[in-house]
Amino acid sequence: MAPQPAPQPLASKERSLFTQVVKNYENKQYKKGLKAADQILRKNPDHGDTIAMKALIINSQGNTDEAFALAKIALKNSMKSHVCWHVYGLLYRSAKNFEEAIKAYKFALKLEPESQQIQKDLALLQMQMRDYQGYVQSRRAILQQRTSWRQNWTALAIAQHLAGDLVNAERTLTTFEDTLKGVPPKTDIEHAEAVLYKNAIIAEMGDIGRALEHLDAAAKNNPDRTSVMELRAKYLLTLGRNEEAAKAYQALLARNPEYRAYFEGLEAALGLDRSDIKAMKDLYTDYASQNPRGDAARRIPLDFLEGDDFREAADHYLQHMLRKGIPSTFANIKALYANTAKKDTILGLVDSYASDGPTPMVNGSAEKQANGDAELFGPSVRYFLAQHYNYYLSRDLKRAMKYVDELLDLAPKSVDYHMTKARIWKHYGNAQKAAETMEKARTLDDRDRYINTKSAKYHLRNNDNGAAIKNMSLFTRNEAPGGPLGDLHDMQCIWYITEDGESYVRQGKLGLALKRFASISSIFDIWQEDQFDFHSFSLRKGQIRAYVDMIRWEDHLRDHPFFSRAAIAAAQVYVKLYDRPDLAHGSLSNGVNGAKMDSAERKKAEKKARKEREKQEKAEAERKDAKKPAAVDQNGEPKKEDKDPNGELLLQTPEPLLEAMKYVNHLLENSPKNIHAQQLAFEVFIRRRKFLLALRTLIASHTISPSDPTLHEQIFRFQHSLSRLSEPLPPKTMEVINAEFNDLLPASTGLDKHNDDFLQKHHDSAPHVQACLKVRQMLDPSSSEKAQQDLIRTLALESCSLEDAVRGLEILEEWKPEPKYKNDYIAAAHERWPEASAFVSKKQD
Amino acid sequence: MDIRVLTSADIPHVQSTNITNLPENYFLKYYLYHALSWPQLSWVAVDVSRPKKTPYDPPKIVGYVLAKMEEEPVNGIQHGHITSLSVMRTHRRLGLADKLMRQSQRAMVEVYGAQYVSLHVRMSNIAALRLYRDTLGFAVEKVEAKYYADGEDAYSMKMDLKFLREHIEAEEEYADEGQEVGDVGKNEEKKKDGEEGKKKRKVKLGRGLGVGELVERNESKA
Ligand SMILES: CC(C)(COP(=O)(O)OP(=O)(O)OC[C@H]1O[C@@H](n2cnc3c(N)ncnc32)[C@H](O)[C@@H]1OP(=O)(O)O)[C@@H](O)C(=O)NCCC(=O)NCCS
Repeated sequence: MAPQPAPQPLASKERSLFTQVVKNYENKQYKKGLKAADQILRKNPDHGDTIAMKALIINSQGNTDEAFALAKIALKNSMKSHVCWHVYGLLYRSAKNFEEAIKAYKFALKLEPESQQIQKDLALLQMQMRDYQGYVQSRRAILQQRTSWRQNWTALAIAQHLAGDLVNAERTLTTFEDTLKGVPPKTDIEHAEAVLYKNAIIAEMGDIGRALEHLDAAAKNNPDRTSVMELRAKYLLTLGRNEEAAKAYQALLARNPEYRAYFEGLEAALGLDRSDIKAMKDLYTDYASQNPRGDAARRIPLDFLEGDDFREAADHYLQHMLRKGIPSTFANIKALYANTAKKDTILGLVDSYASDGPTPMVNGSAEKQANGDAELFGPSVRYFLAQHYNYYLSRDLKRAMKYVDELLDLAPKSVDYHMTKARIWKHYGNAQKAAETMEKARTLDDRDRYINTKSAKYHLRNNDNGAAIKNMSLFTRNEAPGGPLGDLHDMQCIWYITEDGESYVRQGKLGLALKRFASISSIFDIWQEDQFDFHSFSLRKGQIRAYVDMIRWEDHLRDHPFFSRAAIAAAQVYVKLYDRPDLAHGSLSNGVNGAKMDSAERKKAEKKARKEREKQEKAEAERKDAKKPAAVDQNGEPKKEDKDPNGELLLQTPEPLLEAMKYVNHLLENSPKNIHAQQLAFEVFIRRRKFLLALRTLIASHTISPSDPTLHEQIFRFQHSLSRLSEPLPPKTMEVINAEFNDLLPASTGLDKHNDDFLQKHHDSAPHVQACLKVRQMLDPSSSEKAQQDLIRTLALESCSLEDAVRGLEILEEWKPEPKYKNDYIAAAHERWPEASAFVSKKQD
Repeated sequence: MDIRVLTSADIPHVQSTNITNLPENYFLKYYLYHALSWPQLSWVAVDVSRPKKTPYDPPKIVGYVLAKMEEEPVNGIQHGHITSLSVMRTHRRLGLADKLMRQSQRAMVEVYGAQYVSLHVRMSNIAALRLYRDTLGFAVEKVEAKYYADGEDAYSMKMDLKFLREHIEAEEEYADEGQEVGDVGKNEEKKKDGEEGKKKRKVKLGRGLGVGELVERNESKA
């Protein structure tokens, strides 16, 4: 069928039907719309615009493929119809292919330059895609269509601002202001905000003097007083007008005395130095006395005081908190432990409370209710000590357990004490007892979701995913598609999905693990998409600074540790799959054992796995038939059905490293200063033989932490791979590598020597020693026996943590050690960490 | 613990705090909707003392209040709502909820001219009830049967913000007379303490709410 260039006219009845189709679509009356469209098509089967509308409706019903096919037919029939192109763009937009959508909109706009709707749709996408130049153009075109709307001016200013053209952004705002007759009333929030937005732009240009002037002139009665006062204080301080700045910060502190930024501003304005103890103390004492219920003014001095001053202040603070029986006292104090002297002072004080009780209050204030105090004080002190000895900087788990058991004797139903006990078990390395104890805590207050959350988390740490989801289901909407887990996914419950995935990694259920990590990634996709509606919404609401702040946050959305943690874990699984393709065999993939099975065992296991899978699929299908809940997403759009609930398809990927790259790219783009991201990227690049890229990660890691143990090992592995290439690298590449790599591993020092020097330098750190032993093993496989013995010796290092010891065992197992050494290792580790399950259960096999 | 206004970057952790503490949960977009509609009303408590492991670690949120203005107030009377409030169990009884609520209420009056603030609370939630009624000064307006998804009834509570309004007005007059801003601020604070504060909050019913709907509805109004 030849494309019909001319618009296709409809008879008047069909014309009105077509209007109705559009209306039906807008009102989400899809069935009616389809019916009307079919009516038109019966008479005009090739009518492009109608076919396009039909495509749009079908797409809204969730049939994307069919919709695209129809839209293509529509376009074929009417190449010159802006409706068809617009629809094509809308389909791409809903499929999140924004580049193609922009192209289609641009075609549509060429055919119908006056269309506001198309112009607007294009603008929104340009904003979403951060095509600022294009966005400025579109906003200008929209403004020209309607210059009386403030929104249109503000929008252009935003476009210019984000494009970096601050001067014109300000000018645009001013041009509109000049058209205003008189000052708008205070209740005109849009105006009030536009003024502050303009002020922010002036400040961003760096002209703080003018920003202050503008603020004083234009924002005197601005209802957003907090903002005005904060800006004013900051400007005054920047301009060195310290006396006024001090007053401004005092005014802010009077409104909110719990914000450190204000105190810091005030200190700066008063010219105080944190070493000027007397003046600092006076300042904070003053604020503390003004705010009997305040915390900051009492707590901040503990950061800067030292010696006896510290002891006195800490004594006061601790007694105040412990008398009130505040269970979160330790949480509020522990940051001070980074300073050993302070840690010791605090312990000394609290120990003395334990033996002598509280000192009588000097002034008999309201707090003195003697009986109440004493009742709360004793347990608070012990609770503090239990947490103290459970904290990694002051750990002594036996004592921690003693204190918490004493408390539990007094209050056997305390949720908090059980919770702490569970944490102690966790630090002992006994995930099972930790989970059991946390579960106990949960049953003591089963309406409190916090404790429910904790118990679920501890079940996951104990690899009991079933118990975890069962607990979670007490607070989820279980009729949601996918049950409790589906609901947690809908509610974007990052922590659970991540922990669930990590637990599956530990269990070698790599498909499920990948599935969970992919869920995290898809939640971030949603979060990125979420901003879309605000490109228009915020213009109507007029809250521009908050909008710009959101845009800037979205620009680095994926640097969030929620993302990097899951992304690194996912990519690690893919690396594992690359190294051990056998792990991809369904439920066989229980990590360690898969490789060791002989072929008969493997066949049997595979058969069992297949049967299990079939059973699951059948159950799944039955469940679906039984009731098919109309699943919709947060925007009320139909959800695609999940065809791979167990991640089997993810597991079967023929290209695990390319899958890993999807995560690696995000990580390198967003979190380049995260050493774990760089090290993970190295693992992928080295396997892909991308030597330059691998080298780049080494250099980046080196900048972050030059003596990192993993980096040390990776440097040697890089060298190792280079030295045994089957084919030489191109000379250009070698040139770069030689030039750069020498800084990391000087060719002049021998390899062994370099490794030995490093070992010498870090001989008391278990992770460093482990890394050096791995390197030695690689350089000289015949030294294995000695390496194994040395590895056992790391267990005696004072700084060796339980985690280090567990990792050491993994390293040892990779070396396929003599059973004797493995037993020795486990025995030594068991002796040092008698409660740790890692060394108990393994000893038996 | 800092008390400061919520920004977009805080939202992932605020959302985590919410789903850790409460059964009423929301999509990230619903938090954005609050932060981008009434950026002055939602506040967070931040543990500033935690050392960062990477430069990307966002501030550690230990409590938040998520608040809004009623979009279509009956009789045009402006008023605020508390959508959600919670504090991590490890940081409770430090006065954080109290402080978050007071900051939010003040902004409701100052920025949006709120006359009162309302909220819902489970009838069984003793801690929250004490906070609202005894510490802040809310009053029970009525009982809403089966308000929560699990069938529990809610108290619908309300607190008049007239006292705050009067303070702010007095403060402004004061300021206009050329009084130093600093003193005015202090005055206000004292008066607030003396009045034993009146604040209110609301817990949103049910799940995520169709934010798409919300946004669309608003768009169509424009
Ligand atoms: C309710 C909640 C927000 C209180 O947070 P908080 O920061 O611990 O509260 P505050 O320290 O500011 O407490 C202020 C006052 O509230 C009252 N209060 C708080 N917790 C209480 C408790 N467990 N029992 C009795 N009264 C309590 C007290 O009067 C307290 O003043 P005081 O400490 O001087 O006696 C917190 O317990 C929580 O997050 N709970 C779970 C989630 C929830 O229920 N949210 C509210 C839903 S409506």
